[in-house]
Amino acid sequence: MTSYRLPPLPGEEIDRAQPISFTWNGKPHSGFAGDTIVSALAAAGVRTFSRSLKYHRPRGVLTASFVDPNCTLQVDDEPNVRAAHRRLGPGMTVTSQNAWPTLEFDVKAANQLVGRFLTPGFYYKTFMSPRPLWPAYQKVLSRFAVGGRTTRDAPHGYYDQRFAHVDVVVAGAGPAGMGAALAAAEAGADVLLVEEEYDLGGHLRWGGADELAALAALRAEIRARPDIEVLPNSVVTGRYDHNWIAVLQRSGLRDSGVVERLVKIRAGVLVVAPGLIERPYVFEGNDLPGVMLGTAVRRLINLYGVRPGARAVVMTANPEGDAAVADLRRAGVEITRVVDARRGEDIRRAIGHGGVREVELGDGTRVEADLLTVSIGWTAPTSLLNMAGNSPVYDADAARFRPGAAMPPDVIAAGGIVGDGTTSDLVEHGREAGREAARRAAGGEPQAIQDLSGARHPEVFRADTHGFVDYSEDVSSKDVFGAVREGYESAELAKRFTTATMGPSQGKLELVNTISVIAEATGSLLADVGTTVWRPPYAPLSLGALAGRSSEPSRVSAMHRWHVEHGMVPLVAGQWIRPDSYGDPQAEARNVRERVGIIDVTPLGKLDLRGPDVSRLLECVYTNTWANLAVGSVRYGVMCAEDGVVFDDGVTGRLGEEQYFMSTTSSGAAAVWEWLENWLQTAHPEWQVHVTPVTTAYASINVAGPRSRDLMSRLVEDVDLSGDAFEYMRVRTGTVAGVEDCLMWRIGFTGELSYELHVPASYGLHVWEALMAAGAELGIAPFGVEAQRILRLEKGHFIVGQDTDGLTKAGSAGLGGLVRLDKDDFSGKPELVWAQGTDAPLLVALQPIDGTVVPVEASQIVVGDRRIVGRVTSSRMSPTLGRSICLAQLAPELADPGTTVTIVRPEGGTIDAVVMASLAQVDPDGVRLRA
Amino acid sequence: MISIPCPYCGPRNSGEFRHVGESRPRPDPQTTTPQEWRSYLYLRANPQGWTTESWYHAAGCRRFFQLERSTDTDEVRALADRNMT
Amino acid sequence: MGSNGQRQAVNGQRTGARSRLPAKYSALALVKRGATHSDWPLSWRTHELRSRYDVVIVGAGVHGLATAYYLAANHGVTNVAVLDKSYLGGGGSGRNTAILRANYLTPEGVRFYDRSVKLYENLASTLNFNVMFSQRGHLTLAHNDSSLRTMRWRAEVNKLQGVDSEVIGPDEVKRLAPYLDVSTHTRYPILGALYHPPGGIIRHDAVNWGYARAADALGVEIHQNTQVVGIDVAAGDPGKVTGVRTTRGAVSAPVVINCTAGWATTIADLAGVALPITTHPLQAAVTEPVKVFLRTVVVSGSLHVYVSQTDRGELVFGASVDPYPSYSTRGSLEFIEEVASHVLELMPAIAKLRVLRQWAGLCDMTPDYSPIMGLTPVDGFLVDVGWGTYGFKAGPVSGEAMAELVATGKTPELIEPFTLSRFDTGDLVGEKGAAAVGH
Repeated sequence: MTSYRLPPLPGEEIDRAQPISFTWNGKPHSGFAGDTIVSALAAAGVRTFSRSLKYHRPRGVLTASFVDPNCTLQVDDEPNVRAAHRRLGPGMTVTSQNAWPTLEFDVKAANQLVGRFLTPGFYYKTFMSPRPLWPAYQKVLSRFAVGGRTTRDAPHGYYDQRFAHVDVVVAGAGPAGMGAALAAAEAGADVLLVEEEYDLGGHLRWGGADELAALAALRAEIRARPDIEVLPNSVVTGRYDHNWIAVLQRSGLRDSGVVERLVKIRAGVLVVAPGLIERPYVFEGNDLPGVMLGTAVRRLINLYGVRPGARAVVMTANPEGDAAVADLRRAGVEITRVVDARRGEDIRRAIGHGGVREVELGDGTRVEADLLTVSIGWTAPTSLLNMAGNSPVYDADAARFRPGAAMPPDVIAAGGIVGDGTTSDLVEHGREAGREAARRAAGGEPQAIQDLSGARHPEVFRADTHGFVDYSEDVSSKDVFGAVREGYESAELAKRFTTATMGPSQGKLELVNTISVIAEATGSLLADVGTTVWRPPYAPLSLGALAGRSSEPSRVSAMHRWHVEHGMVPLVAGQWIRPDSYGDPQAEARNVRERVGIIDVTPLGKLDLRGPDVSRLLECVYTNTWANLAVGSVRYGVMCAEDGVVFDDGVTGRLGEEQYFMSTTSSGAAAVWEWLENWLQTAHPEWQVHVTPVTTAYASINVAGPRSRDLMSRLVEDVDLSGDAFEYMRVRTGTVAGVEDCLMWRIGFTGELSYELHVPASYGLHVWEALMAAGAELGIAPFGVEAQRILRLEKGHFIVGQDTDGLTKAGSAGLGGLVRLDKDDFSGKPELVWAQGTDAPLLVALQPIDGTVVPVEASQIVVGDRRIVGRVTSSRMSPTLGRSICLAQLAPELADPGTTVTIVRPEGGTIDAVVMASLAQVDPDGVRLRA
Repeated sequence: MISIPCPYCGPRNSGEFRHVGESRPRPDPQTTTPQEWRSYLYLRANPQGWTTESWYHAAGCRRFFQLERSTDTDEVRALADRNMT
Repeated sequence: MGSNGQRQAVNGQRTGARSRLPAKYSALALVKRGATHSDWPLSWRTHELRSRYDVVIVGAGVHGLATAYYLAANHGVTNVAVLDKSYLGGGGSGRNTAILRANYLTPEGVRFYDRSVKLYENLASTLNFNVMFSQRGHLTLAHNDSSLRTMRWRAEVNKLQGVDSEVIGPDEVKRLAPYLDVSTHTRYPILGALYHPPGGIIRHDAVNWGYARAADALGVEIHQNTQVVGIDVAAGDPGKVTGVRTTRGAVSAPVVINCTAGWATTIADLAGVALPITTHPLQAAVTEPVKVFLRTVVVSGSLHVYVSQTDRGELVFGASVDPYPSYSTRGSLEFIEEVASHVLELMPAIAKLRVLRQWAGLCDMTPDYSPIMGLTPVDGFLVDVGWGTYGFKAGPVSGEAMAELVATGKTPELIEPFTLSRFDTGDLVGEKGAAAVGH
């Protein structure tokens, strides 16, 4: 294969002493360290890198930079690599993405023959019928999908995140960006300098001797300053509200094994200095391999030593285009014609099959060439400024958009994006911006910096022919005209209809050309068409970097290790991991009813309440009465929101005159704490109450069963546990297994004689093990959440959020006397007053007529014509009764005891059930509780 | 991630807070009517522009406080009087 | 070489009378026009704003355009103006993630959204515009037993209304979406899912354009870049609407319908009607295209994320609304961070996929996750608002129902539960369970 590699040039970034081997579509290739994947392939004479989206036209290098729409390749298991930016790595397997069977011969190129029919939006006009064939049509359409490959079991890779605290972030390390970083640092600011390319310098890197000298000096100055942190091969992807900046770091991570890192900064000031992006010219054949922008040619020659072609026609409208001519000559390329737009010259089309062969000029002459270089204008990448609320303004004299006037004080634009000038003009503009940025970051009042005016530039957008305005979406100027003619004439509608600017280049190359064509088609000025909104991220940003390291903590109790060692079946309950059972929940439940069991209930929400006004607070948040709660007593309460809907329940005990202990549901703990603080801080700041969350300060254990008193007496020293001394619904503080300050209260969620212990957390495991040891001869066994659910269901105790829902008011939940409407005020009272006598569903207990059938929870209860009148909310096999039992929400007209209702079974068929007299189906009078 | 000026902790990322919302006066539960109570529960001014609203510093000082925010631009400024009423 | 202002405008046929039916779209027509290089005619015309209409619809999104279309097509009411302050379909209708489904929680919700799905199924031929409804199936993952119970609740209610939904286990989930990690050692293991085969995705712009084109052909006037700045209400008890004032002039009309999203309060305030709405941004993001690997819509309530893949290969993501009200559609970093984190929990293999752009639309949130439709205390001022995060899927059924209300004066049974007065009577709708990321 011919080599297109040139002899060494002064500014080249390749290291010819370090060859690198890789494969391209299965064939072995080699390049140098510093080569991009594309420059290495171009040096070997490769001209076609991809096939386009719709028409599968062969595509070659256009910009030779990150935004090149034709150079998106698959590298190993990574899809959509911007191969004109990505540096070569040893052993890379590089393949093209959307050609079949090969890049050279692509069957789908037949699309080109029917191109006139495949206008944008053609799919809206067809494939409508017959409808059953739509999935087949879809498969056809998905053939048009371009994009790399993912693999199902690909390793995740390690991604990282970091918060940086800097005064000034500079986006872009061209001459202005480097100037800004240096000046800001000299003025005392901490600076982060971010550059998308692997090396600093921007366009200076492919410049002449003067530019290279200036570049070397600037680089040396930056290296010498430790207060400028430099992130090359990294990009500022977004400027969010209040200068919240995201930077994607891609370099400097290999040693730490990190793939990419997302750096987040609340920057004092952001200096935006991204320079300019060269704009393609719109003409027939503008996507043929061999048609390149001036900057592409200059990069290939000066950075990578690659000769881009043999015979060239060059179209130029500015000094950079002229410099491209000089670079081509120096590289030994024969220049057959220079077309100067400043003198009114033009080209009409590029002609060739699979690559440029001829160029037809504006006057009709045809010139042979295998390379056509165009330098007809620039686009300002104003995306970061737009994100900051700035609207760019079209400057017809400079033939490009420039930043608008209104800029937030924490963002400053500098350099080429603002205007034009010599290298030292740009550096000086950057320095002024950097000085001002440091001043503002230190709290100074914003002052304007000198403007940099745009040099005059001819407005050159489209030749006399039609060409592509969006290479990655295969949208031509003809398509845009068509869209406008059909009524899609605003920038937004035209964009959506043609999909122009919606491809992987994110509009950087496409937007201005698209707008100029819309302007032509609507007979308006470009400035009046407006632009579509630039949206973050500025550059594509991987999911891995965005996710960083997963930090989803889970919570376990002090006894967790014991549970694991004893065969727990884990249950994920919100953030907590708890034992669902230890293997046989039915047996565990039976053991509680017959002997004694212990359950770890540490996730229960717990709050310590102190102060003279605690009882006032309780009266306010609970539906029942609390003022008369005696020291040493506990009471069950239900909390309602102000709309009367039940949102939490729990038991609260009075430990002293001004000391209470409140329990809440596990998932409600945080919400209840906030709820109490809300009442105290905003409604009653005059109340003296101090709230302390103690959920994890205590390990909590429920000891339940007829032998629980026996068990407790073996471990509790200083509390009289006899039935008269320590009654049901009382609380005591004492020493358990040698641990002081344990709380014990007698409550009965499971319906058995039981004690709930709250032990200082670091002694939880000790107390648990002591209970297991002392209870061995009493037949103790641990029980899990599932057994507890069975037991509480037998007792008819509802679970908030399961037996109640987002509409259940307290009156519906079978609470009866717990709702004291004679209280002056409590949260939810007005709605509960008005809810009386309405037809809200009621909570009832059911027994299926066939006791061996356990209805699936959430099964629906219906009448007659399948009209839904309720649902089963809880359902289990009861080991105590030896039959299935349920709780259900039911329309009130069916809720009388003895009524038969029909439950629809998910697997088909129905089963009837009978409404029971009370919610509790075991020991309804609570005799066992009060033992 | 906007920056919220907590009157007790200084400017902190909004992720530390819970937005509570427009403050509306609570009608007297003894004398209120269903319509008045439900206006309190459900109706909101929902302005486009500057609004006074409550926030709760859930991951910080755990205080409720008010501030002013423009719902258009998400500019935020501290309220002159930091007491809740 | 082209420069601006020197070419003729090409829209000669922008105004004026036209035939009843738009130029028919079909494969044959594509071929004919392609072969002869002839242009397609305008999809909708521009008009001068007249001084009077029978109905003024504020908002040219899918709700407003569908209402206008059904007024003309079902009831012969054509003296209708649809006004939008920007380009048509530019609000929520152009920003949503285009997921359609009927698997709601309440019987009335299911019936309502199912009617919409049925209308969507036939919409392409009704409007002669391919809206590309891909009924590829919709999965709502359950990661704990409370969630699984809610899925069962939804499945049972769905089946009783004749809607296809069922609870499936992790193995079946894996078969439908092979990239999902259904192993048991993840932080939030997938215990099962609600599988809804008729659900899927659609090309939202095509729906907006299809309705606009068809309504225009029937004589409805669509006025873009026409902002309503005032609503005239004649005093009385109740007050009565007499017209609107816009940036292009004043219009009198006896019926004004608020079909806006994000601006519901703003417009309702002009008529003196208070709403129980707070406006929150809802963000979305899209990745670069990759070869298609996900063929169903995947939603996770616990992980607050939903994802689908277009036929072009881009992944489209969404999550919950922003936690505080705002009229900003700028988008935040923490949104794409969270979405990325949760999507990778579900599908760890796609870490290298890159987000290409993010955006936001505005959602009007109501206290009971249900819309507000129908009459208001002001006579002649109707609302079709409060659509939260579930508005696009309801476009057709809402348009059909609102058109019926306007034409007959009677509120259709299907939308009775959504009346504004429910917030006075306290009869809120029970959809909270289904909308936990509701998509």
